[in-house]
Amino acid sequence: MLSYIITLLCLPPLCAALALFGRFDNNALHWLHRVTALGVGIMVVQILTHLNPVIPFQSTYFYVDALSAWVLMIITILYLAASWTARSYLTREEERGMLKGERWQTGRYFALMQMFVWTMFIVLLVNNLGLMWVAIEATTLISALLISFKFTRSALEATWKYVMVCTVGICLALLGTLILYYAQINSLGADNALSWTFLQENAHLLDPDLTKLALMFILIGYGTKVGMAPMHTWLPDAYAEAPSLTSGMLSGALCSCALYVMLRNLVILLPTVGSELLTGMLIFFAVLTVAIAVPFVVVQRDVKRLLAYSSMENIGIMLAGVAVFTAFSLKAVLLHMYSHALIKFVLFYIAGTIIQEYQTRNMMRIHGMIKDVPLTAGFWLVGLLGILGMPPMGLFFSKFYTMLALFRGEHWLAGSLLIILLAGVLVGILYHGMRMLCDHPKRVPGGDLLDRIDTPILIILLLLSCVVGAGFENIPWINRLLDNAVRVIGG
Amino acid sequence: MEYLVVALLFIVLLQTRIMDLRRGIICLSVQSALIAAACLIVGTAHGGGLHGFLPGVLTILVKVIFIPYAILRVVRQLTDEREIISDINVNYSTAVAAGSLCLSYMVFDSLLPSVEERDILASSMFMIMTGLALIVMRSRAIMQMIGLITLENGIYLFGLIMTEGLPMIIELGIFLDVLIAVVILVILTSRLRLSFKTTDTNVLKKLKG
Repeated sequence: MLSYIITLLCLPPLCAALALFGRFDNNALHWLHRVTALGVGIMVVQILTHLNPVIPFQSTYFYVDALSAWVLMIITILYLAASWTARSYLTREEERGMLKGERWQTGRYFALMQMFVWTMFIVLLVNNLGLMWVAIEATTLISALLISFKFTRSALEATWKYVMVCTVGICLALLGTLILYYAQINSLGADNALSWTFLQENAHLLDPDLTKLALMFILIGYGTKVGMAPMHTWLPDAYAEAPSLTSGMLSGALCSCALYVMLRNLVILLPTVGSELLTGMLIFFAVLTVAIAVPFVVVQRDVKRLLAYSSMENIGIMLAGVAVFTAFSLKAVLLHMYSHALIKFVLFYIAGTIIQEYQTRNMMRIHGMIKDVPLTAGFWLVGLLGILGMPPMGLFFSKFYTMLALFRGEHWLAGSLLIILLAGVLVGILYHGMRMLCDHPKRVPGGDLLDRIDTPILIILLLLSCVVGAGFENIPWINRLLDNAVRVIGG
Repeated sequence: MEYLVVALLFIVLLQTRIMDLRRGIICLSVQSALIAAACLIVGTAHGGGLHGFLPGVLTILVKVIFIPYAILRVVRQLTDEREIISDINVNYSTAVAAGSLCLSYMVFDSLLPSVEERDILASSMFMIMTGLALIVMRSRAIMQMIGLITLENGIYLFGLIMTEGLPMIIELGIFLDVLIAVVILVILTSRLRLSFKTTDTNVLKKLKG
């Protein structure tokens, strides 16, 4: 097991170094990127098959249990999809003149992407809350360079906001982690500093006043990184200005990662804090996050900002699920994390393709897609229906379960408010989506740009979300993994 | 330790008054040197050894020498080296800093009464809040960076006093993160200069809604 983990962690930096310093041409770079992703994928499959969900794997620094395995799976799927579609996307971007045709641009992009994924793997595999903090901060820094990749004025603006807001937020999380460590020293001694497994076994011995204080800072800190309102201001800018492949990874993978760290911290803090305080605060933040997203979705003109605000809505739903904190709601959150990551990646990719086809990101100028670009339009429609939570797609089930959990937990007010707000999001997104799909075309697109490589990958992603979301109870392996992940969090 | 606290309070309050970018950076360097001194004092008090001295030495290398040097290199390329906000704004930020000093003493007196290191804990919280105030109230990119590092220094000092230092590997990770963060912010600042011809963050207001 340890050898798989070490190989997994060695591959991306190696590939990054080769991409930066090796003198490869574009073709070789693309294959290097793909083969590395495949290698990492094989390692993750090995880890997943060798892992017994009931008995976590543990070594000095690494720790893998069902929860980390679940998020690891989500991130690896996105990573594989991103690296195999990268060629189609980057070639089109180059033809459009957005990459300035320099050879090292592709190498730099791949190196950054590999390091970004690498830092996320570290977040998931370490057994120490302090190291998790270090890795989360590292994801912020690496992804900052990915967001500002084109160094245009708007990309710089988005990156500056992203780095400033997220670093301040993450610094507060560090303060929270330090307070937690102080609580640990006071009641358990300085050995096993911030070790997650050790703290989890002894969580009930910590001083409740200190853990309450730590909870505040940790919730605000990692909440900033997740994209919780009112600290969300970086989110729409960063998602919209990053290259589309990166937006998909930010929205799907990074957000799941941040939520994962938040859950890990909650496991430690909740036994002494009690869940009433957490439920109250998180439900408030969840409803606020969705409520802030609604008006911006309705009046939106930028296609990628529309998707960014839709991400906020989904983050709100996940936070609401965490707030209820029952086994049922946490299972729904984990499912939602999975389906949202996959569908959002597809949507961002398609949005990027639409921008390449129409040479604009203003939705008011994109009409009649069904007639002009039927393939892209098909994916756009299915993706939008998926993200809104229409029945065949996975998000329907997870949204439904979250709502059910809210009402079962007797949070009537929050539940009804969320349903009304979700209806608002639905109206907004469907209005924009349908106008783009139908209506009279005003601008002639450059043809259907999806090609033979990215089309099947997008179909696989959509199918995966559909199959797992709808039938997780009938796939024994998935169900067992999910149940054990929920047991780890302890709803 | 008392002299250290007084010096720290003085230097952070001075930071809120400084308009010139170069002087701001030198002031930051002095502030980090004080933190390094605190590090070494705590380190020797707990028996020295590698774990006792390494954080102090790293603080000197990273925060006292490298970071100010990297920021000074960007400043050298700028034509306009002053903060452009008005004097009233400077007075406000000093007032906020003074207010947060009182607040942090009040917080620690009510939260942890009769704790030994009351003064230095309060000053660390004062640094955190002043750093936040600088980030919010200053408009030059470099001044915001100074605010961020002040904030980070405050948290570091807090951790040092409360927990007598984190395990080595986490400590190293935090240093690495600070280092990369500054490098990235420096890259972004010089890109801002290239694209916008200024490092005033008030020009960054295109993305809305």
